Amino acid sequence: MNLRKLFSMVFALALVAAACGGGDSDSGGAAESSGSGDIFVSGSSTVEPISVRVANEFEKQNPGVSIAVEGPGTGDGFKKFCSGETDISDASRTIKEAEAEDCAANGIEYLELKVGIDGIAVMSGPGNPIDCLSFADLYSITSPEAEGFDNWSDANELNTAVGGAGDLPDASLTITAPGEESGTYASFIEIVLEDRLEEREQEIAARFDYQSSASDNVIINNVSSDDTSLGWVGFAFADEAGDDVKVFSISEEEGGECIEPTPETIADNSYPISRDLFIYVNTQKAAEKPNLVKFMDLYMDYGLTTAVVDAKYVPLDDSALAETADAWANR
Amino acid sequence: MAVAHPTDVDTARVAGISDSLRRRRDVRGSLFKAAMALSLVISLGILAVLLFIVITDGWTVLSTRLGSFLTGTLRPDAMDAGISQGLKGTFYLCLIVAFVAFPLGIAAAIYLEEYAPSNRLTSFIQLNIRNLAGVPSVVYGILGLAIFVNEFDLLDGKFGIGAITGGRTPLAGGLTLSALVLPVVIITSQEAIRAVPSALREAGFGVGATKWEVIKDHILPYASPGILTGTLLSLARAAGEAAPLLLVGTITGFLSNSPGWFDVTQVQDKFTAMPTLIATWVTQPEEEFKIDNASAAIVILILFVILLNSAAIILRNRFEAKRSG
Repeated sequence: MNLRKLFSMVFALALVAAACGGGDSDSGGAAESSGSGDIFVSGSSTVEPISVRVANEFEKQNPGVSIAVEGPGTGDGFKKFCSGETDISDASRTIKEAEAEDCAANGIEYLELKVGIDGIAVMSGPGNPIDCLSFADLYSITSPEAEGFDNWSDANELNTAVGGAGDLPDASLTITAPGEESGTYASFIEIVLEDRLEEREQEIAARFDYQSSASDNVIINNVSSDDTSLGWVGFAFADEAGDDVKVFSISEEEGGECIEPTPETIADNSYPISRDLFIYVNTQKAAEKPNLVKFMDLYMDYGLTTAVVDAKYVPLDDSALAETADAWANR
Repeated sequence: MAVAHPTDVDTARVAGISDSLRRRRDVRGSLFKAAMALSLVISLGILAVLLFIVITDGWTVLSTRLGSFLTGTLRPDAMDAGISQGLKGTFYLCLIVAFVAFPLGIAAAIYLEEYAPSNRLTSFIQLNIRNLAGVPSVVYGILGLAIFVNEFDLLDGKFGIGAITGGRTPLAGGLTLSALVLPVVIITSQEAIRAVPSALREAGFGVGATKWEVIKDHILPYASPGILTGTLLSLARAAGEAAPLLLVGTITGFLSNSPGWFDVTQVQDKFTAMPTLIATWVTQPEEEFKIDNASAAIVILILFVILLNSAAIILRNRFEAKRSG
């Protein structure tokens, strides 16, 4: 009997609370679920760690403001952004024409802001004689077509077929790289392999027979202990490892200019395995919501410096920083 | 008529059967018994291995910062991250399923068993309910997204109740999960009602009770332990479902909302839930999220489900004790 009493009390309480709560929560509609003070960020899972860090810092400074950050992907993010559901959309590419039309159709005005750069370093042990690899070289040793190759020279036939010089050395090949769950894996495939994979009608993936590790330190360790190994990690990690690894220069075209990854070459986009990271801000919402402006101000300050570095991306150089800051200031 | 106890006659008859035949029969019997025992050992073994792995992996978190893990919120640093928002989300999802799916499902079962005429339409409905119980949960997620989260256009009209649920909220998620477990609730409740001896029903009618009185005073109390078991097991399933919630849209990056446990307004706010939290954490590159935090969260979710199931057993035993007492 006690149990029944307890239950009915709990239910009654819940009902009363629901009835009371119903009144004030009507301010938020369905499509615009974020109320006047709320901030909702969605989009790329690559950019998500930056936005999450800014949100974390923002909450410390302004407790009580409701913020939600999620990372379903750039495309999904733009869908929500262009229907007015979100205030900020994280993106690892610029908005597509179709998405921009969608935004325009719903009367969404936005501002595109570059926030950082995701650069990937391809590396080997410190004694590797090779200095420069082309995209064709990388394709012939890391694509699904390269499955089973455990010597660099195994790839020469494929290398010639995809436009390489076919001069890879006779040396053992072991690969350690991030696993599928990592944004670095996705970026590497998208930038280096995707065009050739599509051309050759292959599955959009890397070869599956490499050692995958979620820990960048494990990748660095494996690569540095073997002079003819291969691996790739976010640029910040390879840079930290210093002389323990040899970072390759990369040329996009065979025989083209070999670019060494440095913060400068990544920031000016001359290093080919890098991509810009963006956020898109709904300017009408920024005009209505003082909290969103505060959040964006923090993003421009803490976000572009500390958060980008903590999330292991390359921060913008001074001129790009100023450009982003100006774009936000002159919205 | 089954022979319950061997008599002298049986013993004599069995002794007449040749020894070899009897031995062969014994071998088969013990083989069968061994196979059954092995099945049990395998099922328990898998569970034990799973528990062992998640508990050892999650031990760093469970032993060093259980308190902050249970009360903490989503954070970028694995060491600060906690699951309080996920626990609250899952709690409210379960509450909504209990409020929506159980009354609807039990009522539908009573109608189908006690009132529905046995014709083609009824058996068509029965068939459909059974099919619905086998529909993959992600399909219910799509349904939830269309009807409970958004509104869709059909024949110049807007359909869906996104305006009431507030979009991607526990209310929308709870209704989606309710739709998911509804067929199972109906089927288990039907079975429980069907198991009520018809003598009980007839006795009720015999003393002049109306149909309503018979259902209320005899059938439902008799069937309640079975109904309760079925419904609470479906609640445990709802607590562990990730796929539909991924579509409905739980927040797994950062969520500042951390209202109290009994602040009911959170059913119309953005939320997160344990299964989607775990699904997100295991895909993080950092070991602290992927192994430590995710495993600890799995242990807590398992405990939560065990708690629900224990509640089911205790409630059922109380009902049974009351009826026999």
